[in-house]
Amino acid sequence: MEIIDGFFKAITGIFNESGILTLNWQNYIMIAISIVLLYLAIKKQYEPLLLLPIAFGMLLVNLYPAIMNPPSVQLLTAEQCAAQHVELAGHAQRVIDGVTYYENPTYGGLLYYLYQGVKLGIYPPLIFLGIGCMTDFGPLIANPKSLILGAAAQIGIFITFTGAIFLGFSEPEAGAIGIIGGADGPTAIYVTTKLAPHLLGSIAIAAYSYMALVPIIQPPIMKALTTKKERMVVMEQLRPVSKLEKIMFPIIVVIVIAILLPDAAPLVGMLMLGNLFKESGVVDRIAKAAQNELMNIITIFLGTTVGATASGQNFLSLSTIKIIVLGLIAFAMGTAFGVLFGKLMYKFTGGKVNPLIGSAGVSAVPMAARVSQKVGQQENPGNFLLMHAMGPNVAGVIGSAVAAGVLLNVVGH
Amino acid sequence: MNLSYLANASGIAAEYSLYEKWIASAKVILTGFVVVFAVLFLLIAIIKIYSAIVTKVQDRNNVKKHKKEKISQPGEALKKPVVIPVQKNNADEPVVSGEIDGEVVAVIAAAVTAMYGTKGKAKIKSIKKSGGRSAWANAGILDNTRPF
Repeated sequence: MEIIDGFFKAITGIFNESGILTLNWQNYIMIAISIVLLYLAIKKQYEPLLLLPIAFGMLLVNLYPAIMNPPSVQLLTAEQCAAQHVELAGHAQRVIDGVTYYENPTYGGLLYYLYQGVKLGIYPPLIFLGIGCMTDFGPLIANPKSLILGAAAQIGIFITFTGAIFLGFSEPEAGAIGIIGGADGPTAIYVTTKLAPHLLGSIAIAAYSYMALVPIIQPPIMKALTTKKERMVVMEQLRPVSKLEKIMFPIIVVIVIAILLPDAAPLVGMLMLGNLFKESGVVDRIAKAAQNELMNIITIFLGTTVGATASGQNFLSLSTIKIIVLGLIAFAMGTAFGVLFGKLMYKFTGGKVNPLIGSAGVSAVPMAARVSQKVGQQENPGNFLLMHAMGPNVAGVIGSAVAAGVLLNVVGH
Repeated sequence: MNLSYLANASGIAAEYSLYEKWIASAKVILTGFVVVFAVLFLLIAIIKIYSAIVTKVQDRNNVKKHKKEKISQPGEALKKPVVIPVQKNNADEPVVSGEIDGEVVAVIAAAVTAMYGTKGKAKIKSIKKSGGRSAWANAGILDNTRPF
Protein backbone atom coordinates (compact mmCIF):
# COMPACT_ATOMS: atom_id res chain seq x y z
CA MET A 1 0.00 0.00 0.00
CA GLU A 2 2.82 2.31 0.93
CA ILE A 3 4.47 1.63 -2.42
CA ILE A 4 1.31 2.48 -4.36
CA ASP A 5 0.81 5.60 -2.25
CA GLY A 6 4.40 6.67 -2.96
CA PHE A 7 3.94 5.95 -6.64
CA PHE A 8 0.80 8.13 -6.87
CA LYS A 9 2.50 10.93 -4.94
CA ALA A 10 5.45 10.83 -7.32
CA ILE A 11 3.21 10.83 -10.39
CA THR A 12 1.14 13.73 -8.97
CA GLY A 13 4.34 15.66 -8.24
CA ILE A 14 5.66 15.12 -11.77
CA PHE A 15 2.28 16.11 -13.26
CA ASN A 16 2.08 19.27 -11.13
CA GLU A 17 5.51 20.37 -12.28
CA SER A 18 4.95 19.44 -15.93
CA GLY A 19 4.38 21.96 -18.67
CA ILE A 20 0.75 20.86 -18.97
CA LEU A 21 -0.06 22.82 -15.81
CA THR A 22 2.71 25.44 -15.74
CA LEU A 23 2.68 26.72 -19.34
CA ASN A 24 0.23 29.40 -20.42
CA TRP A 25 -1.35 30.20 -23.81
CA GLN A 26 1.46 32.62 -24.76
CA ASN A 27 3.99 29.81 -24.41
CA TYR A 28 1.96 27.59 -26.73
CA ILE A 29 1.73 30.34 -29.39
CA MET A 30 5.49 30.84 -29.14
CA ILE A 31 6.05 27.10 -29.51
CA ALA A 32 4.01 27.23 -32.74
CA ILE A 33 6.00 30.28 -33.96
CA SER A 34 9.30 28.56 -33.18
CA ILE A 35 8.22 25.51 -35.18
CA VAL A 36 7.39 27.78 -38.15
CA LEU A 37 10.84 29.39 -37.82
CA LEU A 38 12.47 25.94 -37.67
CA TYR A 39 10.61 25.06 -40.86
CA LEU A 40 11.86 28.25 -42.55
CA ALA A 41 15.42 27.56 -41.40
CA ILE A 42 15.50 23.91 -42.44
CA LYS A 43 13.22 23.75 -45.46
CA LYS A 44 13.60 27.25 -46.93
CA GLN A 45 17.14 27.72 -45.61
CA TYR A 46 16.54 31.32 -44.48
CA GLU A 47 19.75 32.22 -42.61
CA PRO A 48 19.76 28.69 -41.13
CA LEU A 49 23.01 29.16 -39.21
CA LEU A 50 21.29 31.65 -36.95
CA LEU A 51 17.59 31.06 -37.43
CA LEU A 52 17.84 27.41 -36.41
CA PRO A 53 19.49 27.99 -33.00
CA ILE A 54 17.29 31.08 -32.43
CA ALA A 55 14.13 29.10 -33.15
CA PHE A 56 15.26 26.21 -30.97
CA GLY A 57 16.17 28.54 -28.11
CA MET A 58 12.70 30.03 -28.43
CA LEU A 59 11.18 26.56 -28.35
CA LEU A 60 13.19 25.54 -25.28
CA VAL A 61 12.39 28.62 -23.20
CA ASN A 62 8.69 28.30 -23.90
CA LEU A 63 8.66 24.61 -23.02
CA TYR A 64 10.78 25.07 -19.92
CA PRO A 65 10.91 28.76 -18.85
CA ALA A 66 13.19 27.97 -15.88
CA ILE A 67 16.04 27.34 -18.34
CA MET A 68 16.54 31.15 -18.38
CA ASN A 69 16.00 31.68 -14.64
CA PRO A 70 18.71 33.61 -12.85
CA PRO A 71 20.26 32.11 -9.69
CA SER A 72 18.30 32.97 -6.57
CA VAL A 73 18.23 32.39 -2.82
CA GLN A 74 15.74 30.00 -1.28
CA LEU A 75 14.72 30.61 2.34
CA LEU A 76 14.48 27.31 4.25
CA THR A 77 13.70 26.55 7.85
CA ALA A 78 15.93 24.15 9.76
CA GLU A 79 13.34 21.37 9.25
CA GLN A 80 13.15 21.99 5.52
CA CYS A 81 16.95 21.96 5.32
CA ALA A 82 17.00 18.59 7.06
CA ALA A 83 14.28 17.22 4.76
CA GLN A 84 16.18 18.36 1.66
CA HIS A 85 19.54 17.21 3.04
CA VAL A 86 20.91 20.77 2.98
CA GLU A 87 23.75 21.33 5.43
CA LEU A 88 23.10 24.28 7.72
CA ALA A 89 26.76 25.22 8.20
CA GLY A 90 27.94 28.12 6.08
CA HIS A 91 24.46 29.39 5.20
CA ALA A 92 23.46 32.93 6.16
CA GLN A 93 20.52 33.18 8.51
CA ARG A 94 17.55 35.51 8.38
CA VAL A 95 14.86 35.91 11.02
CA ILE A 96 11.39 36.71 9.72
CA ASP A 97 8.48 36.92 12.17
CA GLY A 98 10.51 35.12 14.80
CA VAL A 99 11.28 32.17 12.51
CA THR A 100 14.91 31.52 11.53
CA TYR A 101 15.46 30.87 7.84
CA TYR A 102 18.63 29.70 6.16
CA GLU A 103 19.58 31.20 2.80
CA ASN A 104 20.09 28.35 0.38
CA PRO A 105 21.44 29.52 -2.99
CA THR A 106 19.93 27.88 -6.08
CA TYR A 107 21.56 27.70 -9.48
CA GLY A 108 20.25 29.48 -12.56
CA GLY A 109 19.08 27.78 -15.75
CA LEU A 110 21.60 26.61 -18.38
CA LEU A 111 20.73 29.30 -20.92
CA TYR A 112 20.90 32.02 -18.25
CA TYR A 113 24.63 31.43 -17.91
CA LEU A 114 25.22 31.22 -21.65
CA TYR A 115 23.18 34.41 -22.05
CA GLN A 116 25.72 36.38 -20.00
CA GLY A 117 27.89 36.57 -23.13
CA VAL A 118 25.07 38.42 -24.86
CA LYS A 119 24.12 40.53 -21.84
CA LEU A 120 27.69 41.65 -21.22
CA GLY A 121 28.26 42.42 -24.91
CA ILE A 122 30.89 39.69 -25.38
CA TYR A 123 29.50 37.55 -28.21
CA PRO A 124 28.80 40.22 -30.88
CA PRO A 125 32.39 41.54 -30.94
CA LEU A 126 33.67 37.94 -31.08
CA ILE A 127 31.40 37.30 -34.07
CA PHE A 128 32.91 40.44 -35.62
CA LEU A 129 36.36 38.93 -35.07
CA GLY A 130 35.37 35.96 -37.22
CA ILE A 131 33.71 38.19 -39.82
CA GLY A 132 36.92 40.24 -40.00
CA CYS A 133 38.88 37.07 -40.78
CA MET A 134 36.53 36.31 -43.66
CA THR A 135 36.25 39.81 -45.11
CA ASP A 136 38.28 41.08 -48.03
CA PHE A 137 38.44 44.86 -47.84
CA GLY A 138 40.29 44.94 -51.20
CA PRO A 139 37.31 46.27 -53.23
CA LEU A 140 36.80 49.01 -50.64
CA ILE A 141 40.48 50.01 -50.66
CA ALA A 142 40.47 50.00 -54.47
CA ASN A 143 37.42 52.24 -54.54
CA PRO A 144 37.22 54.14 -51.22
CA LYS A 145 34.23 56.15 -52.47
CA SER A 146 32.21 53.02 -51.67
CA LEU A 147 32.27 54.28 -48.10
CA ILE A 148 29.82 57.03 -49.11
CA LEU A 149 27.31 54.33 -50.02
CA GLY A 150 28.06 52.49 -46.78
CA ALA A 151 27.26 55.73 -44.91
CA ALA A 152 24.15 56.55 -46.98
CA ALA A 153 22.58 53.19 -46.21
CA GLN A 154 22.75 54.02 -42.49
CA ILE A 155 20.38 56.99 -42.86
CA GLY A 156 17.47 54.56 -42.51
CA ILE A 157 18.62 53.85 -38.94
CA PHE A 158 18.21 57.44 -37.87
CA ILE A 159 14.94 58.04 -39.70
CA THR A 160 13.46 54.90 -38.13
CA PHE A 161 14.57 56.26 -34.77
CA THR A 162 12.12 59.12 -35.40
CA GLY A 163 9.34 56.70 -36.31
CA ALA A 164 9.94 54.72 -33.12
CA ILE A 165 9.91 57.85 -30.96
CA PHE A 166 6.57 58.88 -32.45
CA LEU A 167 5.17 55.39 -31.84
CA GLY A 168 5.80 55.87 -28.14
CA PHE A 169 9.15 54.17 -27.59
CA SER A 170 11.73 55.77 -25.34
CA GLU A 171 14.95 57.15 -26.85
CA PRO A 172 17.12 54.11 -25.99
CA GLU A 173 14.41 51.76 -27.27
CA ALA A 174 14.09 53.78 -30.48
CA GLY A 175 17.86 53.62 -30.95
CA ALA A 176 17.84 49.84 -30.59
CA ILE A 177 14.95 49.51 -33.05
CA GLY A 178 16.56 51.84 -35.59
CA ILE A 179 19.74 49.76 -35.71
CA ILE A 180 17.78 46.96 -37.42
CA GLY A 181 18.22 49.15 -40.54
CA GLY A 182 21.95 48.48 -40.37
CA ALA A 183 21.13 44.90 -41.42
CA ASP A 184 23.88 43.64 -39.20
CA GLY A 185 22.81 41.03 -36.63
CA PRO A 186 25.74 41.27 -34.18
CA THR A 187 25.59 45.09 -34.22
CA ALA A 188 21.83 45.04 -33.60
CA ILE A 189 22.29 42.64 -30.67
CA TYR A 190 25.20 44.62 -29.25
CA VAL A 191 23.31 47.93 -29.34
CA THR A 192 20.09 46.40 -28.00
CA THR A 193 21.81 44.77 -25.01
CA LYS A 194 23.22 48.19 -24.13
CA LEU A 195 20.14 50.31 -24.82
CA ALA A 196 17.02 48.16 -24.43
CA PRO A 197 17.79 44.59 -23.29
CA HIS A 198 14.08 43.85 -22.72
CA LEU A 199 13.51 44.18 -26.50
CA LEU A 200 16.36 41.87 -27.47
CA GLY A 201 14.24 38.90 -28.61
CA SER A 202 11.99 40.97 -30.88
CA ILE A 203 14.81 43.05 -32.35
CA ALA A 204 17.13 40.10 -33.00
CA ILE A 205 14.38 38.10 -34.66
CA ALA A 206 13.29 41.09 -36.77
CA ALA A 207 16.91 41.83 -37.79
CA TYR A 208 17.74 38.27 -38.81
CA SER A 209 14.40 37.77 -40.55
CA TYR A 210 14.93 40.85 -42.70
CA MET A 211 18.51 39.86 -43.44
CA ALA A 212 17.21 36.52 -44.68
CA LEU A 213 14.62 38.35 -46.77
CA VAL A 214 17.13 40.70 -48.47
CA PRO A 215 16.60 39.06 -51.90
CA ILE A 216 12.88 39.68 -51.59
CA ILE A 217 12.83 43.15 -49.97
CA GLN A 218 15.57 44.91 -51.91
CA PRO A 219 14.97 44.27 -55.65
CA PRO A 220 11.60 46.10 -55.92
CA ILE A 221 13.08 49.17 -54.19
CA MET A 222 16.18 49.06 -56.38
CA LYS A 223 14.14 48.78 -59.57
CA ALA A 224 11.68 51.49 -58.54
CA LEU A 225 14.45 54.02 -57.91
CA THR A 226 16.61 53.38 -60.98
CA THR A 227 16.15 53.57 -64.74
CA LYS A 228 16.99 50.71 -67.08
CA LYS A 229 19.91 52.74 -68.44
CA GLU A 230 21.36 53.17 -64.95
CA ARG A 231 20.96 49.49 -64.14
CA MET A 232 22.86 48.54 -67.29
CA VAL A 233 26.01 50.50 -66.45
CA VAL A 234 29.10 48.30 -66.68
CA MET A 235 31.70 49.51 -64.20
CA GLU A 236 35.42 49.65 -64.84
CA GLN A 237 37.53 46.88 -63.37
CA LEU A 238 38.97 47.76 -59.97
CA ARG A 239 42.71 48.24 -59.59
CA PRO A 240 44.65 45.48 -57.83
CA VAL A 241 45.36 46.23 -54.18
CA SER A 242 48.78 45.45 -52.74
CA LYS A 243 49.27 43.33 -49.64
CA LEU A 244 50.79 46.26 -47.77
CA GLU A 245 47.65 48.36 -48.34
CA LYS A 246 45.49 45.51 -47.05
CA ILE A 247 47.65 45.15 -43.93
CA MET A 248 47.63 48.87 -43.22
CA PHE A 249 43.84 49.18 -43.66
CA PRO A 250 42.66 47.53 -40.40
CA ILE A 251 45.29 49.33 -38.36
CA ILE A 252 44.40 52.74 -39.76
CA VAL A 253 40.64 52.20 -39.51
CA VAL A 254 40.77 51.08 -35.89
CA ILE A 255 42.97 54.04 -34.92
CA VAL A 256 40.63 56.55 -36.60
CA ILE A 257 37.35 55.09 -35.36
CA ALA A 258 38.44 54.21 -31.83
CA ILE A 259 39.81 57.73 -31.30
CA LEU A 260 36.83 59.54 -32.81
CA LEU A 261 34.08 57.22 -31.62
CA PRO A 262 35.19 55.08 -28.66
CA ASP A 263 31.73 53.49 -28.32
CA ALA A 264 32.24 51.77 -31.68
CA ALA A 265 35.69 50.49 -30.68
CA PRO A 266 34.67 46.99 -29.42
CA LEU A 267 32.91 46.11 -32.66
CA VAL A 268 35.26 47.82 -35.11
CA GLY A 269 38.30 46.78 -33.07
CA MET A 270 37.41 43.09 -33.22
CA LEU A 271 36.45 43.34 -36.91
CA MET A 272 39.80 44.88 -37.75
CA LEU A 273 41.75 42.49 -35.51
CA GLY A 274 40.19 39.57 -37.40
CA ASN A 275 41.04 41.23 -40.70
CA LEU A 276 44.63 41.80 -39.63
CA PHE A 277 44.87 38.10 -38.70
CA LYS A 278 43.86 37.30 -42.27
CA GLU A 279 45.85 39.89 -44.17
CA SER A 280 49.07 39.65 -42.20
CA GLY A 281 49.40 36.02 -43.28
CA VAL A 282 51.56 35.22 -40.25
CA VAL A 283 48.87 33.82 -37.92
CA ASP A 284 47.01 31.44 -40.18
CA ARG A 285 46.14 29.10 -37.30
CA ILE A 286 44.52 31.87 -35.29
CA ALA A 287 42.71 33.24 -38.33
CA LYS A 288 41.29 29.79 -39.10
CA ALA A 289 40.25 29.24 -35.48
CA ALA A 290 38.55 32.65 -35.30
CA GLN A 291 36.55 32.20 -38.50
CA ASN A 292 35.67 28.55 -37.93
CA GLU A 293 35.69 27.03 -34.44
CA LEU A 294 35.32 30.23 -32.40
CA MET A 295 32.70 31.76 -34.69
CA ASN A 296 30.69 28.53 -34.81
CA ILE A 297 30.72 28.12 -31.03
CA ILE A 298 29.71 31.74 -30.47
CA THR A 299 26.99 31.43 -33.12
CA ILE A 300 25.49 28.49 -31.22
CA PHE A 301 25.55 30.35 -27.89
CA LEU A 302 24.36 33.64 -29.37
CA GLY A 303 21.57 32.17 -31.47
CA THR A 304 20.20 29.87 -28.79
CA THR A 305 20.25 32.43 -25.99
CA VAL A 306 18.85 35.25 -28.12
CA GLY A 307 16.01 32.91 -29.08
CA ALA A 308 15.56 32.10 -25.40
CA THR A 309 14.79 35.75 -24.64
CA ALA A 310 11.61 35.38 -26.70
CA SER A 311 9.41 33.90 -24.04
CA GLY A 312 5.67 34.23 -24.62
CA GLN A 313 5.25 36.91 -21.95
CA ASN A 314 8.01 39.10 -23.43
CA PHE A 315 7.43 38.52 -27.11
CA LEU A 316 3.68 38.55 -27.63
CA SER A 317 2.93 42.22 -27.33
CA LEU A 318 1.95 45.12 -29.55
CA SER A 319 5.47 46.52 -29.22
CA THR A 320 6.83 43.43 -31.04
CA ILE A 321 4.48 44.10 -33.97
CA LYS A 322 5.61 47.73 -34.02
CA ILE A 323 9.26 46.65 -33.92
CA ILE A 324 8.74 44.31 -36.86
CA VAL A 325 7.03 47.06 -38.90
CA LEU A 326 9.66 49.66 -37.95
CA GLY A 327 12.44 47.19 -38.75
CA LEU A 328 11.06 46.71 -42.24
CA ILE A 329 10.87 50.50 -42.70
CA ALA A 330 14.47 50.85 -41.47
CA PHE A 331 15.63 48.19 -43.88
CA ALA A 332 13.74 49.62 -46.84
CA MET A 333 14.99 53.15 -46.07
CA GLY A 334 18.59 51.95 -45.82
CA THR A 335 18.28 50.29 -49.22
CA ALA A 336 16.56 53.33 -50.75
CA PHE A 337 19.14 55.83 -49.47
CA GLY A 338 21.98 53.59 -50.64
CA VAL A 339 20.49 53.45 -54.15
CA LEU A 340 19.74 57.21 -54.16
CA PHE A 341 23.33 58.03 -53.24
CA GLY A 342 24.38 55.54 -55.92
CA LYS A 343 22.36 57.63 -58.38
CA LEU A 344 24.14 60.75 -57.19
CA MET A 345 27.48 59.06 -57.79
CA TYR A 346 26.22 57.99 -61.23
CA LYS A 347 25.50 61.64 -62.06
CA PHE A 348 28.76 63.01 -60.63
CA THR A 349 30.94 60.43 -62.36
CA GLY A 350 29.24 60.87 -65.71
CA GLY A 351 27.57 57.46 -65.64
CA LYS A 352 30.52 55.37 -64.48
CA VAL A 353 28.86 54.09 -61.28
CA ASN A 354 25.97 51.65 -61.38
CA PRO A 355 23.48 52.86 -58.70
CA LEU A 356 22.52 49.26 -57.93
CA ILE A 357 25.69 48.81 -55.87
CA GLY A 358 24.31 51.40 -53.41
CA SER A 359 21.79 48.95 -51.96
CA ALA A 360 24.68 46.75 -50.80
CA GLY A 361 25.61 49.49 -48.33
CA VAL A 362 23.17 48.02 -45.80
CA SER A 363 25.81 45.37 -44.86
CA ALA A 364 24.10 41.93 -44.77
CA VAL A 365 27.37 40.56 -46.17
CA PRO A 366 27.47 39.07 -48.78
CA MET A 367 23.76 38.69 -49.51
CA ALA A 368 23.16 42.37 -50.32
CA ALA A 369 26.10 42.41 -52.77
CA ARG A 370 24.73 39.28 -54.42
CA VAL A 371 21.37 41.00 -54.84
CA SER A 372 23.08 43.96 -56.60
CA GLN A 373 24.79 41.47 -58.89
CA LYS A 374 21.58 39.60 -59.58
CA VAL A 375 19.46 42.68 -60.35
CA GLY A 376 22.25 44.10 -62.54
CA GLN A 377 22.48 40.87 -64.50
CA GLN A 378 18.76 40.82 -65.15
CA GLU A 379 19.27 43.94 -67.32
CA ASN A 380 22.68 43.08 -68.70
CA PRO A 381 23.68 39.40 -68.44
CA GLY A 382 27.33 40.21 -69.13
CA ASN A 383 27.58 42.64 -66.25
CA PHE A 384 29.46 41.53 -63.12
CA LEU A 385 28.74 43.96 -60.32
CA LEU A 386 29.58 41.62 -57.47
CA MET A 387 33.09 42.88 -56.83
CA HIS A 388 31.97 46.52 -57.11
CA ALA A 389 29.08 45.85 -54.71
CA MET A 390 31.40 44.22 -52.17
CA GLY A 391 32.98 47.65 -51.57
CA PRO A 392 29.79 49.30 -50.25
CA ASN A 393 28.84 46.01 -48.61
CA VAL A 394 31.89 45.86 -46.34
CA ALA A 395 31.72 49.66 -45.97
CA GLY A 396 28.22 49.07 -44.61
CA VAL A 397 29.65 46.88 -41.84
CA ILE A 398 31.95 49.72 -40.80
CA GLY A 399 29.13 52.25 -41.31
CA SER A 400 26.67 50.36 -39.12
CA ALA A 401 29.30 49.99 -36.38
CA VAL A 402 29.90 53.75 -36.54
CA ALA A 403 26.13 54.38 -36.45
CA ALA A 404 25.93 52.06 -33.42
CA GLY A 405 28.65 54.12 -31.74
CA VAL A 406 26.66 57.31 -32.44
CA LEU A 407 23.47 55.84 -30.98
CA LEU A 408 25.24 54.50 -27.90
CA ASN A 409 26.81 57.88 -27.38
CA VAL A 410 23.76 60.06 -28.02
CA VAL A 411 20.95 58.04 -26.42
CA GLY A 412 22.83 55.58 -24.26
CA HIS A 413 24.59 57.95 -21.88
CA MET B 1 -4.90 55.24 -35.85
CA ASN B 2 -3.87 57.65 -33.15
CA LEU B 3 -0.19 57.27 -32.23
CA SER B 4 -0.65 57.82 -28.53
CA TYR B 5 -3.39 55.17 -28.56
CA LEU B 6 -0.91 52.72 -30.07
CA ALA B 7 1.70 53.63 -27.50
CA ASN B 8 -0.68 53.24 -24.60
CA ALA B 9 -2.12 50.01 -25.97
CA SER B 10 1.35 48.49 -26.05
CA GLY B 11 1.91 49.39 -22.43
CA ILE B 12 4.59 51.92 -23.25
CA ALA B 13 3.95 55.27 -21.71
CA ALA B 14 4.21 58.14 -24.18
CA GLU B 15 6.45 60.12 -21.85
CA TYR B 16 7.51 62.79 -24.31
CA SER B 17 5.55 65.77 -25.52
CA LEU B 18 5.31 66.32 -29.26
CA TYR B 19 7.94 69.06 -29.05
CA GLU B 20 10.31 66.79 -27.12
CA LYS B 21 9.83 64.05 -29.70
CA TRP B 22 10.77 66.40 -32.53
CA ILE B 23 13.81 67.64 -30.62
CA ALA B 24 14.98 64.08 -29.79
CA SER B 25 14.51 62.96 -33.39
CA ALA B 26 16.20 65.98 -34.95
CA LYS B 27 19.13 65.64 -32.54
CA VAL B 28 19.72 61.99 -33.43
CA ILE B 29 19.20 62.42 -37.19
CA LEU B 30 21.52 65.40 -37.38
CA THR B 31 24.22 63.88 -35.17
CA GLY B 32 24.00 60.51 -36.87
CA PHE B 33 24.09 61.94 -40.37
CA VAL B 34 26.98 64.31 -39.66
CA VAL B 35 29.12 61.90 -37.60
CA VAL B 36 28.68 58.83 -39.85
CA PHE B 37 29.44 60.80 -43.00
CA ALA B 38 32.30 62.75 -41.39
CA VAL B 39 34.01 59.59 -40.10
CA LEU B 40 33.58 57.74 -43.38
CA PHE B 41 34.71 60.76 -45.47
CA LEU B 42 37.77 60.99 -43.24
CA LEU B 43 38.42 57.30 -43.90
CA ILE B 44 38.09 57.89 -47.66
CA ALA B 45 40.69 60.65 -47.48
CA ILE B 46 43.05 58.55 -45.36
CA ILE B 47 42.70 55.47 -47.58
CA LYS B 48 43.36 57.56 -50.70
CA ILE B 49 46.42 59.20 -49.16
CA TYR B 50 48.02 56.02 -47.84
CA SER B 51 47.18 54.08 -51.00
CA ALA B 52 48.85 56.79 -53.09
CA ILE B 53 51.92 56.73 -50.83
CA VAL B 54 52.15 52.93 -50.82
CA THR B 55 51.72 52.72 -54.60
CA LYS B 56 54.37 55.40 -55.18
CA VAL B 57 56.87 53.76 -52.83
CA GLN B 58 56.26 50.34 -54.36
CA ASP B 59 56.59 51.69 -57.90
CA ARG B 60 59.85 53.39 -56.99
CA ASN B 61 61.15 50.17 -55.42
CA ASN B 62 60.17 48.22 -58.51
CA VAL B 63 62.00 50.67 -60.80
CA LYS B 64 65.11 50.44 -58.60
CA LYS B 65 64.89 46.66 -58.61
CA HIS B 66 64.64 46.57 -62.42
CA LYS B 67 67.59 48.92 -62.76
CA LYS B 68 69.68 46.76 -60.42
CA GLU B 69 68.78 43.65 -62.39
CA LYS B 70 69.76 45.34 -65.66
CA ILE B 71 73.09 46.49 -64.22
CA SER B 72 73.91 43.08 -62.77
CA GLN B 73 72.98 41.22 -65.98
CA PRO B 74 73.84 43.50 -68.90
CA GLY B 75 73.79 40.64 -71.39
CA GLU B 76 70.21 39.81 -70.53
CA ALA B 77 68.90 43.12 -71.83
CA LEU B 78 70.48 42.54 -75.20
CA LYS B 79 68.89 39.18 -75.61
CA LYS B 80 66.08 38.97 -78.08
CA PRO B 81 62.61 38.47 -76.58
CA VAL B 82 61.38 34.91 -76.63
CA VAL B 83 58.69 34.52 -79.22
CA ILE B 84 56.13 31.84 -78.57
CA PRO B 85 55.06 30.59 -81.95
CA VAL B 86 51.43 30.00 -82.66
CA GLN B 87 51.04 26.70 -84.43
CA LYS B 88 49.00 27.07 -87.56
CA ASN B 89 48.74 23.86 -89.47
CA ASN B 90 46.52 22.62 -92.21
CA ALA B 91 42.77 23.26 -92.19
CA ASP B 92 41.88 20.02 -90.33
CA GLU B 93 44.01 20.74 -87.29
CA PRO B 94 42.97 23.23 -84.63
CA VAL B 95 44.92 26.43 -84.13
CA VAL B 96 46.62 26.01 -80.77
CA SER B 97 48.17 28.86 -78.86
CA GLY B 98 51.84 28.15 -78.20
CA GLU B 99 51.53 28.47 -74.44
CA ILE B 100 49.13 25.51 -74.20
CA ASP B 101 50.73 22.21 -73.45
CA GLY B 102 50.27 19.31 -75.86
CA GLU B 103 48.80 17.17 -73.10
CA VAL B 104 46.09 19.77 -72.45
CA VAL B 105 45.20 19.77 -76.17
CA ALA B 106 44.98 15.96 -76.07
CA VAL B 107 42.70 16.05 -73.01
CA ILE B 108 40.39 18.64 -74.61
CA ALA B 109 40.25 16.61 -77.83
CA ALA B 110 39.51 13.43 -75.84
CA ALA B 111 36.71 15.19 -73.92
CA VAL B 112 35.13 16.47 -77.15
CA THR B 113 35.41 13.01 -78.70
CA ALA B 114 33.87 11.40 -75.62
CA MET B 115 30.94 13.82 -75.79
CA TYR B 116 30.28 13.84 -79.55
CA GLY B 117 31.95 10.62 -80.80
CA THR B 118 34.39 10.26 -83.68
CA LYS B 119 31.76 10.30 -86.41
CA GLY B 120 30.01 13.42 -85.18
CA LYS B 121 30.15 16.85 -86.68
CA ALA B 122 32.09 18.36 -83.77
CA LYS B 123 35.37 19.90 -84.78
CA ILE B 124 37.92 21.76 -82.70
CA LYS B 125 38.88 24.88 -84.62
CA SER B 126 41.13 26.57 -82.11
CA ILE B 127 42.31 26.26 -78.53
CA LYS B 128 43.45 29.36 -76.73
CA LYS B 129 43.78 30.40 -73.13
CA SER B 130 40.99 32.71 -71.98
CA GLY B 131 41.78 35.98 -70.23
CA GLY B 132 40.88 34.44 -66.88
CA ARG B 133 38.44 35.79 -64.33
CA SER B 134 39.12 37.09 -60.89
CA ALA B 135 38.02 35.04 -57.92
CA TRP B 136 35.15 37.51 -57.41
CA ALA B 137 33.92 37.14 -60.98
CA ASN B 138 34.08 33.35 -60.60
CA ALA B 139 32.12 33.61 -57.36
CA GLY B 140 29.59 35.78 -59.19
CA ILE B 141 29.15 33.29 -61.99
CA LEU B 142 28.84 30.42 -59.55
CA ASP B 143 26.36 32.34 -57.51
CA ASN B 144 24.21 33.31 -60.43
CA THR B 145 24.00 29.84 -61.80
CA ARG B 146 22.37 28.75 -58.58
CA PRO B 147 18.99 29.91 -57.32
CA PHE B 148 18.92 31.93 -54.10
